[in-house]
Amino acid sequence: MYAQEDQIQTSSLTKMADEVTREWSDEQLKSDAFPKKDIITFIQDNAAHSFLNEHKLLGNIKNVAKTAKKEQLIIAYNQLFESKKFKGTEPIEDVTEQVKAVKIEVKSKEAPAEVVDEGPPKYTKSVLKKGDKTNFPKKGENVSCWYTGTLEDGTVFDTNVPKTERKKKQTKPLTFKVGLGRVIRGWDEALLTMSKGEIARLEIEPEWAYGRKGLPDSKIPPNAKLIFEVEVVAVD
Amino acid sequence: MKCPVCLLREDKARLKTAGMALEQLSDVVQRCQALPEDRYTTEDHDVFTISGRTCIEEGNSAQVLSIVLDEKNQDIVRCMGWNLLPPLIQVLVKKEDKKLSQCLAIFNHLLQTCRPKELLIGLLEQLEQDDPDTIATSLHLLLNPLQKVLLCLGSRKASSLGMTLSSVLDQVAKLPLPHTKEQEEDDVFSLCRCCTDLIDFVKPFVHEARQNLLNTEARHEREQGRDNEDELQTELLKFCMKTLSHPLLEVQLKDPDTLAVSPLRNFATEILNTLSAIGESVPSLVYQPLLKRKQVPGFLEEEVRYPKESLASLAHLVFVHHLAADTFPSVFSPVFCLRSNMEHICLLLSRTEEFRIQKGLELYEKSLVRVEDCSLHADLLEIKTFLTVPQHMVKVMTICPRHDLRTRGLKVLQLSIDKFDTEAKYNLFQYMLKTSNHSGVEGYVIKNIKNQIDVALQPGNSNTWFVGAHLLPLLRKVLSLPDGPETDLLHYLDRVMESLNLLRYLVIRDKATDNQTGIWTELYKIEDTFLKPLRVGVNMSRAHYERELHNTMATTRAKAKEESVLSVSVGDEKLPNMTSESQIQALHSALHTFDMIESVLVRIEELTEGEGKSLD
Repeated sequence: MYAQEDQIQTSSLTKMADEVTREWSDEQLKSDAFPKKDIITFIQDNAAHSFLNEHKLLGNIKNVAKTAKKEQLIIAYNQLFESKKFKGTEPIEDVTEQVKAVKIEVKSKEAPAEVVDEGPPKYTKSVLKKGDKTNFPKKGENVSCWYTGTLEDGTVFDTNVPKTERKKKQTKPLTFKVGLGRVIRGWDEALLTMSKGEIARLEIEPEWAYGRKGLPDSKIPPNAKLIFEVEVVAVD
Repeated sequence: MKCPVCLLREDKARLKTAGMALEQLSDVVQRCQALPEDRYTTEDHDVFTISGRTCIEEGNSAQVLSIVLDEKNQDIVRCMGWNLLPPLIQVLVKKEDKKLSQCLAIFNHLLQTCRPKELLIGLLEQLEQDDPDTIATSLHLLLNPLQKVLLCLGSRKASSLGMTLSSVLDQVAKLPLPHTKEQEEDDVFSLCRCCTDLIDFVKPFVHEARQNLLNTEARHEREQGRDNEDELQTELLKFCMKTLSHPLLEVQLKDPDTLAVSPLRNFATEILNTLSAIGESVPSLVYQPLLKRKQVPGFLEEEVRYPKESLASLAHLVFVHHLAADTFPSVFSPVFCLRSNMEHICLLLSRTEEFRIQKGLELYEKSLVRVEDCSLHADLLEIKTFLTVPQHMVKVMTICPRHDLRTRGLKVLQLSIDKFDTEAKYNLFQYMLKTSNHSGVEGYVIKNIKNQIDVALQPGNSNTWFVGAHLLPLLRKVLSLPDGPETDLLHYLDRVMESLNLLRYLVIRDKATDNQTGIWTELYKIEDTFLKPLRVGVNMSRAHYERELHNTMATTRAKAKEESVLSVSVGDEKLPNMTSESQIQALHSALHTFDMIESVLVRIEELTEGEGKSLD
């Protein structure tokens, strides 16, 4: 997921806005012998990301060829030259934003990619105690933490913090590999931003927690916002 | 009834042998009183053993008791006393003997006096019994003494404990299992009591193992793995794993609403607690299929250490019965949980025992309901279990003898379908059409395809799988006859009917002017490859069955004529000729089926000709 994002970013940034010339006439394009794929390839190679998005020309060429009609492609081709929305003509921030907005299909071996319908992150973090700011977990690394989870009404639904300090020495913190979709998304995202020793309060929207289903047969109801106090004890 | 004289003679003989045995016992004891232990001969041991045992068997336990309690004899008792265990335990197990209290007194004294290792051998030997009643009684009798003996073994107790637990579980395995709530309450074969006794038995050892764990951890600051493999932990782990397989996998635990106090549920809970106490994290065990565990440099290989079946049983206890829910973290993602459980589910559904299938279905259902509809990505189908499980489900739905399990299988299959996203549904349908080899299942899948097309045709739901480019290849597979015109229409009825239903749906729902699904441009092909051969098939089959019906009815009439001369009556009723009647019924039913098929064919013709004409 991230790899593909990077790919688009670099290719659009490194390609200079050289003069792109119009090679084909309308007659040529309209000809039955002229393959749709060639038009698509040209436009994908030369148009700005936002242009491609607007004209629904993003993604695998085969798929685009199936869904787009020739007339539409010819129109797009012409519009590209009219608007001059070539690659490299957009400020970097815009590119980054658009890249985030794209729905990317990538085959991921470890965990299937979530639908990237990004908006703002669906959790907030307030740091209660700063960490060492050096040891941040990377995706796939083990993270160990103490945590307490409550619902908005204050009900504690889960905790691994033992009641007494003495018992804490006898109990082990929760350890898991972060960033791999093994835990609820709010945790995966938040813990990547926390360093060793950090204690933070996380408020996670249901979409990045247990969503519409909640956790049946548990204290977590449907559409529940979850609040966690998490202390990162160790990073790998 | 023996004559009184014979009885008397038997009594006298018995008293004589008893007397002899007692004499011998007294002799050997007296002889050894003066000797140090290492001077007892083998003969001394043997005489003591045989005579002592005989005394007890013959009912002279009172005398044996006084010998055994005698202060002067304590060295002898310590050395040889354990040999008396077999007949003692026999008496104690039978419970009816008048000498019960004396034998009990001897038994208790031996437990206090003799050497632990030898007592262990003696006690373990007596665990082995044949009939369930004796098994249960001997377990109840011997677990406590065994515990005491083992606790005396000090730091070398682990392997002996392992041996003991293994023997105990072997015996428990012979007890019939309660299945209903009433059976669990009545506990006629004492399985529940044995399980409860077992928990009490292991308590001190679990406590010791937990202490060892804490001490080891105090010495090493942070342990990533288990550097010092604790034997006691290993034996307790083996024990827990074994119980998870039997009896826990085979019994159906009752929920608190059904049975407030359930010894079996308590037993299961205690096993989970034991696992935690010995340092085995339940989440790690349950999610083991997906976690790469470091090879523990210990005594057992990974597979042996954590048998897959035991882990599946554990997963079921955690996710279906919610045991130890308070200590199970509520942070894992539902998809991760499902992926992990698929391994357990696959294992459970892979064999035919009904209790396993039931648990597999329950675990699957519980894992699926946490996932949002249409959220499972097509990538998941690249994981082997995500394809193997549907195959197992097909087997369950079609050949499991229990009707409720077949029905449940279907329900859970549909639930799983609903959770996959559109692309995944598409791939799964293709896969099932290819591999299920069952007309009913294929028909069910085709119905699902129709539903998905219906969804996709609704405004805003368009996708490339059920209306776009991918639909036609799928339709071609669906709208086909397995054997052309020779296809056995009755055998393939479900599939054929659903295919026709789908086609009829398409030509009604998707207007020829829209042709969103592409069906109208495909029709001429479908006519050739599906509709025409089907018409031919229907006609051929109908002709064949009509002929059969005619012949059968002719035969019946002929037989009836014969029978009018010779008829069979029972009471007033004439016995009908059942075979040919039911034959005729079946033939009529088949003909009705062909009519049904034909009616849909005709309807489709009407719809397509009409549209075709309007397009001209």
